[in-house]
Amino acid sequence: MQPGAGESIYLRGVLPSGAPLEGKRQAAGLTTTGADAACVGCHQRSGLGTYEGYNFDVTIPPIAGPYLFHSREAHTQEAVLPYVPWMHSNRDPYTDATLARAIREGLDSQGRPLSALMPRFALSDADMDALIEYLKQLGSHPAPGVSERELHFATVITPDADPARRKAMLDVMDHYFADKNLFPIGNSLPLRTSGHGQQAKSMFMSHRLWRLHVWDLTGAASTWGAQLDAHMEREPVFALVSGLGGNNWAPVHQFCQRRQLPCLFPNVDAPLDNSHDFYPLYFSRGVLLEADLIARQIAYGAHAASAAPAASVLQVYRPGDGGEAAALALAAALKPLGIPVRNQPLAPASGAKGVREAVGQAQKSDVLVLWLRPADLADLGDAAAAPAVVYTSGVMGGLEQAPLPAAWRSRVRMTYPYELPEKRELRVKYALSWFSIRHIPVVDEPLQVNTYIACGLLAETLSHMADNLVQPFMIEMLQTSAERRLINTGYYPHLVLALNQHFASKGGYIVHFARPEGAQLVADSDWIVP
Amino acid sequence: MLRLLGVAAPLIGLAAVGAAFSQESSEQSAPPRASHSFMSSAQYTVPDVRLVRDDGKAVALPEEMNDGRPVVLNFIYTTCSTICPLMSQTLAQFDHELGADRGRVHLMSISIDPEEDTVARLHAYAQKFHAGPEWQHYTGTAQASLTAQRAFNVWRGDKMGHSSVTFVRAAPGTPWLRIEGFVTPGELLQQYHHLLEQSGATVATR
Repeated sequence: MQPGAGESIYLRGVLPSGAPLEGKRQAAGLTTTGADAACVGCHQRSGLGTYEGYNFDVTIPPIAGPYLFHSREAHTQEAVLPYVPWMHSNRDPYTDATLARAIREGLDSQGRPLSALMPRFALSDADMDALIEYLKQLGSHPAPGVSERELHFATVITPDADPARRKAMLDVMDHYFADKNLFPIGNSLPLRTSGHGQQAKSMFMSHRLWRLHVWDLTGAASTWGAQLDAHMEREPVFALVSGLGGNNWAPVHQFCQRRQLPCLFPNVDAPLDNSHDFYPLYFSRGVLLEADLIARQIAYGAHAASAAPAASVLQVYRPGDGGEAAALALAAALKPLGIPVRNQPLAPASGAKGVREAVGQAQKSDVLVLWLRPADLADLGDAAAAPAVVYTSGVMGGLEQAPLPAAWRSRVRMTYPYELPEKRELRVKYALSWFSIRHIPVVDEPLQVNTYIACGLLAETLSHMADNLVQPFMIEMLQTSAERRLINTGYYPHLVLALNQHFASKGGYIVHFARPEGAQLVADSDWIVP
Repeated sequence: MLRLLGVAAPLIGLAAVGAAFSQESSEQSAPPRASHSFMSSAQYTVPDVRLVRDDGKAVALPEEMNDGRPVVLNFIYTTCSTICPLMSQTLAQFDHELGADRGRVHLMSISIDPEEDTVARLHAYAQKFHAGPEWQHYTGTAQASLTAQRAFNVWRGDKMGHSSVTFVRAAPGTPWLRIEGFVTPGELLQQYHHLLEQSGATVATR
């Protein structure tokens, strides 16, 4: 059997021969092929299935090995498989032969027809064997970081992260974990239903203590991957939670994907936007989203009364910082429109003089885009020669606290990929009260509120997972349930994910300062999703 | 469990066309079943919301819907890999089977995940299902999509509440046929022609 053949069929819909998998939905007379036909589309990477419809109109059952082959006799008095609300338990266990029949002919272990949604696949014997082998091992590996009494998580901090922000984030996380462990209530009693006991032991849910490991990375980014591997060997964890990046988060993202480790909502300005990666989830695309917001404004001429696209763009950023990725993204977005973009990277340690010289390269007709941190913004100096239209990244510049010199405040438009201050009061109130009660100093409000929300999403998701401690299932449950959080969404107006989505907040505002001093903002736009 | 909010369509003085639970019977063991679908007739007020079409144009939903052509409508989202591909494939096959009549119909698919489903993503999704000029996909603000979903009684709290519902209407002012569940392209075609005949008869007797 070709190694990886079953996985290729399941995840990608590609047969070992290289030909696309083909499935037929006979009732509808429709054929589905390739990636669209791959098992993962419905049964998910975890193999634990999903559902559609408020009344569970469509239930896509778990097909991870234990769920297919577990003997029915063992269910009757005491079910032992972790409960999944959409599991189909009213059938005999499959054998290899009946499973092959299910996949080829759409009949269950007792010969009853499967759902009209389930295609019939004409697999060869060898391909069928490979797929069945893959299904058998799905869900049979114990997840790292899980013991009978404890559940281990880590939070990663890159060496270029600000130490004050590191402490602010860990303050929140340490308190959250301590609260979580305050009442170790032990294992819940198995729930027993009267009569058949279908959901008896399967509803059993242990209340494990949460353990947080802080993984501080050191040295060059090229060594972080190996450092993370070493941490993982020493202290295996189930998932990474929150975390703090500086200029570069890519090695952490790649580690999560490589080790198949959920990486939940780190505080990073420039996440990696790779739609093929499954395990990292983010609150938003950060500066990449801001680049799209600015591109949209420039393309639609929203920056000018004439509503014509900008003639040319000059971008200023520090090489190696998140702004560089954003500048590349903006230039790429404007290229098809034929708008010339000039990049003005700042020389290392160039100081105020370097900032002023770079900005001074802008012509009056340019749209100037600043991908700068607060220290550089404070050095902008005189605005007399600056173009009429200046955009600055709110994420990088410190939002309403951005230390722009007074002369610049009147002309700068800021991208603001969060809910507006006056509208988010209710959304952050719970977190801020929680901090206040615990005497957690608020050093960086967006950072700490988002860290708190990340911990909350983790707790909620674990409760939905019951005892199904399967790493891809955690991602799937987060994706399908994040939207239910209606008010306590922190700095974001709403958090919306779905299976196959990895960024929960997708838009932002364009704002400017109301007055030469103070933090009051005026929105120039509605919530824009670029 | 989650069984409180029923899926009762707003039936307004119109008899249900009939429950069409079609199931082929055969002497052979367990033949493949045809679709499971439930049909009802209903009146909906098309809400006055602005949506953005997959060609990037901002449009008003009533104008899009009431241009005189028969309408076939569904609600989808592009990252949905479970029921949406089947729903869209069904519409595509229905469209194909219409043959020359394709120019008369207006197929409409409204995204229930408009912030993810940008114009570019919707356009790519439409192309994947070979949508011709008679089939448009729509996005817009989250609120606009929600208003449209509520107007057609398909909103169930969040995206996971999404179910397969297809709407058919012969002409503006006539009732909608609401088809819940997986309708096959053939059944949809049959219902469509039936509805058009009925509508034509109504016009003729006026």
